Amino acid sequence: MMAFRLPMTFRHVLLMLALVLAAWVSPPLAGGAAEPVSGAAAQAVVKGFADEGVSLLEDRGASPAARAERFRELLKKYFATDAIARWVLGRYWNQLDAQQRVDYQSLFEDLVVYGYVKRFGEYTGERLRIVRTIADSDAQATVFSEIDRPAGGQPVRVDWRVGGRDGVYLITDVVVENVSLSQTWRSDFSATIRQSGGINGLLDTLRVRTAQLKADLGVSR
Amino acid sequence: MPTNLHRIACLVAAAVLAATIGGCATAPDRSDAEAYAEFQAINDPLEPLNRTVFGFNQAIDAMFLRPLADFYRLLLPPPLREGVHNVLSNLRSPVVLANDLLQGEFERAGTTTGRFLINSTLGVGGLADWASDFGLAQHNEDFGQTLAVWGSPEGPFLMLPLVGPSNPRDAAGIAVDSLILDPFGLLGTLNMDTEWMRTLSYTRLGVTIIDARSQNVEELDDLQKSSLDFYAALRSLYRQYRLSEIWQGQPPPGEEGPSLDDLPAIPVQ
Repeated sequence: MMAFRLPMTFRHVLLMLALVLAAWVSPPLAGGAAEPVSGAAAQAVVKGFADEGVSLLEDRGASPAARAERFRELLKKYFATDAIARWVLGRYWNQLDAQQRVDYQSLFEDLVVYGYVKRFGEYTGERLRIVRTIADSDAQATVFSEIDRPAGGQPVRVDWRVGGRDGVYLITDVVVENVSLSQTWRSDFSATIRQSGGINGLLDTLRVRTAQLKADLGVSR
Repeated sequence: MPTNLHRIACLVAAAVLAATIGGCATAPDRSDAEAYAEFQAINDPLEPLNRTVFGFNQAIDAMFLRPLADFYRLLLPPPLREGVHNVLSNLRSPVVLANDLLQGEFERAGTTTGRFLINSTLGVGGLADWASDFGLAQHNEDFGQTLAVWGSPEGPFLMLPLVGPSNPRDAAGIAVDSLILDPFGLLGTLNMDTEWMRTLSYTRLGVTIIDARSQNVEELDDLQKSSLDFYAALRSLYRQYRLSEIWQGQPPPGEEGPSLDDLPAIPVQ
């Protein structure tokens, strides 16, 4: 009989933070060399993001605004943020007009950027270790990794879904201990749409939330 | 103690009653195929009631559980808290073992038995987890998972008063685990008229609750801060986590996720 039976591994929101941790070993790829999606390229994307992410995390002197802009650059370089934002909205995407789509995608990016920059202070030197890479299909590979905690204990398992198209590789989802960030957002956002009375309700909620995050960080933009 | 329990029971009853007036979520018309499919996928027909219970749980949490957990974390240094957690896990070993066996997981049953023997003796009643050092890693099992392995569907999402996110399958699992499969729990229930047994049972229950809550302080805070709709995020997380537990950490690939096909054009880098 436990109140809130959530396990330790649930550091779901550590997600992105988790994402941002450096790779120190890159073991050889497990197969997939002849696949249309290159496992090596997918792995390079995750390693690149982790390496650049850690150097960003460890640069503690930077202002919140500077950190946010650097983090935004990392997102653009390594993540299919627009594709994620679109998938998160599911069937509701088609109800948005052109202007709402632009607004939504920019708000989504802001939510991710400021939400995670706000948590940068929680970083305590974790390192990400890439374990193996598997090609799931012609267009997607999964990079399996583990994050060792400085305090010891079981490492946290983080799987990265990397999409490949026309030789461009971008991260499409981060799955921590089998909890998918995109899936959780999708449930969260569609519930917000229903609870707050439609797309405009969601957009308003996002505006309020991102404005709050920016105010907390002391960032004006 | 009984008066307090009684009072809490009354509160729960009152909350549930108040919530029932809110009624069920109305299913969208079948002619709107997309909306209907979404309603089915969310699988939360009692959502208004569940949200009310969730509000009640959050209030109870803010008033009692969270302060207790914070105090507990302040009072006990991490190694001691880990010791307490280990003792509780060790006491749960028979439940894990029974469910390992019921699922036909004989290798894991061996691990559970080995852990219980090593930690109960060398580990001084479970305080120290020596078994992990011997390569017998801890795993969790419960009757809710066993029912899933046997093919029982999870049923609609339920937010249980005081317990939290669940479903009929997991709720039945909790009942079977605590009333039938747990020898220590059974011992306490059968000897409720013995003063010290009663004390011991209540102490274990209380410490279990505080331990569980104190393990999740940051996780729940994070989720609450990062989500737009805490209830919906928790519901999604609970389902994904249970699926992972049922499949021993290797769930089958789920529905599709985001893909680069969703991008109108690939940005040139």
